Amino acid sequence: MVEYAIQADGLTKSYGALTAVDHVDMRVPDGGIFGLLGPNGAGKTTIIKVLTGLSDITSGEASVAGFNVRTEPMRVKERIGWVAAEVILDDDFTAWENLWLQAKLQRLTDWKPRALELLRYFNLEDRRKDKVQTYSTGMRKKLEIALALLHQPRVIFMDEPTIGLDPGTRRMLWELITGVNREYGITILLTSHYIEEADALCGQISIIDHGKFVASGAPSELKSRVKADFIELETTEAVDEARLKAIPGVSEVRSQGKAWILRVASAEEVLPRIFQSLKTDGIRRINVEKPSLETVFLDLTGKRIDQAGSEIRDYRKFYASVRRARG
Amino acid sequence: MSTETRHGAVFPSPTVASPPAPGAYVSQGSQFVGLYWRELLRTFRNPWVLVITIVQPFMWLAFFGSSFANVPLSDLDALLHTQIQSYTQFLLPGVLSTSMLTIGMFGSMSTIQDKRFGFMKRILITPTSKATVYLTKALGSATRGLVQIPVMIVAALAFGVRFDGDPLLWAGWILGLVFLGFGFSCFFLAVTASSTDWQTPGVISNFITMPLMFASGALFPASNFPTWMQYIAKFNPVSYSALFGRGIVVQGTADWLYLGYLALFALIMLVAGTLVASRYLKIE
Repeated sequence: MVEYAIQADGLTKSYGALTAVDHVDMRVPDGGIFGLLGPNGAGKTTIIKVLTGLSDITSGEASVAGFNVRTEPMRVKERIGWVAAEVILDDDFTAWENLWLQAKLQRLTDWKPRALELLRYFNLEDRRKDKVQTYSTGMRKKLEIALALLHQPRVIFMDEPTIGLDPGTRRMLWELITGVNREYGITILLTSHYIEEADALCGQISIIDHGKFVASGAPSELKSRVKADFIELETTEAVDEARLKAIPGVSEVRSQGKAWILRVASAEEVLPRIFQSLKTDGIRRINVEKPSLETVFLDLTGKRIDQAGSEIRDYRKFYASVRRARG
Repeated sequence: MSTETRHGAVFPSPTVASPPAPGAYVSQGSQFVGLYWRELLRTFRNPWVLVITIVQPFMWLAFFGSSFANVPLSDLDALLHTQIQSYTQFLLPGVLSTSMLTIGMFGSMSTIQDKRFGFMKRILITPTSKATVYLTKALGSATRGLVQIPVMIVAALAFGVRFDGDPLLWAGWILGLVFLGFGFSCFFLAVTASSTDWQTPGVISNFITMPLMFASGALFPASNFPTWMQYIAKFNPVSYSALFGRGIVVQGTADWLYLGYLALFALIMLVAGTLVASRYLKIE
């Protein structure tokens, strides 16, 4: 029997009436980078919480690093690392003190040589005696990854590792994440709602929406599954669905706000026909999408990832948005 | 720990303090040291925390203690049913006892801060139990409260109070304050275990401080009280600490039974609080 770094069967987490994670099955082999891609509120963070033992499992089974999360959570916690979406460090403490505390929490004794190596690897060695509050966001993120690596975990969980970072820092982190995975041989499970991030980093992806996995596989494999292009179209005059459907080569028509999204076999063949058919209506905007993870998501859920995110399911985010709206 | 489950042989490998036993339990000694030390560093690196801790009881001693300065001592002796050097001398053990009521608030606030900033998740994603987090917070609070004791004694000296007596009695007095402070820290942390609101600790502090301060022997002898207040004072641990301390500071004698009551109070709060916190401590 193959032992997976992460394995889940029928994993479910409910908060009252809300099912945040709904019968999820996972098989993550050792040594890879596995991505959970989905909009905000899809259940990505909740999956991390139940797999790391931070939250109780409502039903189903999960094992991480060879131990059952439900019955032996402490054994799991000795073997996992965690990088939060928001950087969580003791700002009043130095990098070295943060590492010291992490070593204490993981019950490590001769941790100093490794801590120094990690600081060297992340280029933080000469700043180790400075308080973390003087660090840039990129440095803080690096220190957080160093903390996660200190006790040589088998699996590292990264929740939206590059959310809110500038493009330069994001690219640096991508390199670090693949580097850590390659050089330390650690399995990484990361969540993201950035398509290009999941595409660039992950060997395997599961697309998640409303707490359910809608598709899983390698990014290239997922892309090849969608044997269609998408054309997004906005016209100046009202156009009815039947007219668009009548255009040869259009297999599906969906309305998305003011725009239409047409699923077509080949954009190159269909575009001239669209111009032909709609020449009197005035095309305001037209956009062609070749197969990408974005179109995979669109094809499976009928929504774009960022639009799906606006259907807020998480009540805290909902209230936060209400507060913002009230100004 | 079997080697095949630990990765990253490229770099030096730390070892775990003691080999884990099979099953769910992980020993908590190392985590306890780490988290308690964190509490201490956070307190003593922030001088304002110390200033706030000390100012309030100091104000009581300075202002309230001086409010009978022009009353003849014989009148005060009649009112307080004892022979005193000054009201400040009478008040010192009481003020130190009542200030132990509020120190739990700081531990509570630091716990809520950890929940809100996500640090609680960082702690609990390691093999650290909720009980360990709870105990280090309670002990951190109590330690912070202890700083008041030497400062208040020096302040009382400055106000002209003269001390004498057996060092053993003094050690007993301080131990009694430790029990009281630790007990109330445990209480505070247990009732705020599931709270994430900054305001909760302040509300609870206001709610318990006033009645427990006045319905105790801390400021005046309980024999002056109406019956219903005497009844509260009888069950109020602040009374025991104030009476125990006053015996030592004013009369130079100790009723060790009071220390026993205080130890019992601390023990009950510790056990009950640990049970509550390991069940209800929220992570965010």
